[in-house]
Order: sequence, then C-alpha cells, then structure tokens
Amino acid sequence: MIPAYNEGPMIREVVTHVRSCGYGNIVVVDDGSRDNTRQQALEAGARVISHPINRGAGAASQTGILYARRQGFPYIIQLDADGQHHPEDMEALIAKMAEGRWDIVIGSRFIQMADGIPPTRIAYNRISNLLTNWFCHSSYSDSQSGFRMLNRRAIENLNLGLDGFGYCSEMIVVAERLGLSVGEAAIKVSYTEYSMSKGQDLHTGVNTAVNLIWKLIFHQTH
Amino acid sequence: MRLEIYQIVVPIVSAFFIWGLIGRFRRSKASLQEAVAGSLFWVAVAVFALFPDFFSRKLARLFGIKSNINAIIFFCLGLIFFFQYKLFFMIKKQQMALTELTRKIALEQSREKEAGQ
Repeated sequence: MIPAYNEGPMIREVVTHVRSCGYGNIVVVDDGSRDNTRQQALEAGARVISHPINRGAGAASQTGILYARRQGFPYIIQLDADGQHHPEDMEALIAKMAEGRWDIVIGSRFIQMADGIPPTRIAYNRISNLLTNWFCHSSYSDSQSGFRMLNRRAIENLNLGLDGFGYCSEMIVVAERLGLSVGEAAIKVSYTEYSMSKGQDLHTGVNTAVNLIWKLIFHQTH
Repeated sequence: MRLEIYQIVVPIVSAFFIWGLIGRFRRSKASLQEAVAGSLFWVAVAVFALFPDFFSRKLARLFGIKSNINAIIFFCLGLIFFFQYKLFFMIKKQQMALTELTRKIALEQSREKEAGQ
C-alpha cells in the first residue's frame, strides 16, 4: 500500500520496483494529487483509491487500512511513494513478522544506521522518537518510518485520527494501547533531491508535534 | 470584603461556561479530558477575578508586572483563550468530518469500480 500525493514523477518507478520484487497486489492511495499520480500508478499496474481532495499522509494511510480491512487482506506493507524505501527490504519486514510475535513491524533506518541520511533528518527523527517514546511503554528507534507491515489483527483494530504525518507516532501509541505488539526490522533508505523535497520540514514538524500532543492528551485513542 | 462588579460578573460568566462544558460532556460532544481541562481553566479565571490583589501580587513577583487593570486583562485574556480554544476544536472537528467524507467517497468509488469489473 502506497499513500501518494503529487508523486507523478516517481510513482510509476516505485510501483514497478515493487512489482519486480514479486509483489503484484499493489494499492496506491492517491491523496487528491493535482498531477498525474493516479494515471501513472494505474499504468504501472496498481489499483488506485483516490481521495477527491488532499487530506494528508495519515488520512491516506488510514484509507488504505480500511480498504485492506474490507478486502480481507491478511497483511499489508506500506511504503513511501517518493522512492526512498527499497522494496527489497520487504523481505526483512516479512521475516520479522514471521517470528509470530508482532502485529506491526516498522522498517527502521536506525537499528543499523542506514547510509546517506541527512543530519537534519536524523535530528528531526531523534526529537520525534523522544516525543513518541514518552507516550509509549517500549522504546522505538524510528517512530517516523513510513515503511511498515501490519497483520490482520492490526488491520482490524487500527483507527487513526490524525490526518498528517503525526499518524506514524499515533499508530505506535494506539497500537500499544490496543495491546498490539510493535517490532522493528532494519531497512535501508536512499535520500535523493526528490525525496528530500517531500516529507516534513520544520514548519510541518512543529504542526505534527502539536497535533500529536493534542490528539494523545485530549482524545481517547482506540 | 467589598466586591467590584467584575468580581461578580466574571465568576458568573465562568460558571456559565463550566455549565456549558458539563452539558457538552453529558451530550457526548466533549471528552472527559476536554470538560475537565476547560472547567479547570474557568475555575482559575473565576478565582483570579475574586482575589485579584492576592494573585496579582503573586504574579507581579513572578513576572514583574502589577497594576489595578490586571483583573480586566485577566478577563479579556480569558475570553480570548476561550474563543481560541473553541475555534481550535471546531476546526479540528470540521477537518475530521471532511476526512471521513473524503474517505467514504474514495472507498465507495473503489467498491463501485471493482463491482463493475
């Protein structure tokens, strides 16, 4: 499952790469893109669910989870549409899930520090980890990773409320509150000029933190 | 203790808002956390209004400001915070509703498309 917003230049390559790794059941959640993301994804062979308007990465992710719930998928793997993730690493997530102990497996860039992560991203992730881990029982090395695998139990029970990037942390905190177990597997990433232009900057990072704190303190998460 | 008009009006207004919050909680329009946080805020505003000199002296020592106009400033700040708080939650609710609607449309369209194939 690939949430995507204005990823026209990259989505075809990402979908094709995932297919070449042997995974044919690909769902792109087009989050109200204004470019040709939808068309590119369809031509690459993905199913596309389209939000009529842009609602954010978290909203797109939850739409994908609800779609998987409706379709009865036993597992989903979510990865970013900007090409930073290596679909080959899905094997690592699957192997971790196969241990049978985890309901969610997060692809972590920091278990074995992946090469080429810009210092700003490392700093941002450390701050995010501190914030997320403060609300959690366990400690997670990469709370902001968009590369995740969910089993059926997680698909059935997760109902995320944050529309923006805060969903990454929210998913972990909500999962713990629901009694779902969250594990991590090491992944690699490739940061390019294109992928660096995506994701969070300082402004969205602050907004994400405020929204997450508001959500976790003032609203019951379930 | 001689009460000024604002010392009567502000606690009444605070009580009115607390009553509204309790009503919202009872109608399930506000969570317990929202109701408790909002009520505590308005209790604080009322207490400030009732004992302005005591708190203004404490605050003056803390922040280095003091004047007779403090009570009015507190009241105005209370109103501004309240409306800010109310607007914030209204916007959040609208955003959640918008996302829910967007999602329903997207999933329904995908269902129709798959049924047609």
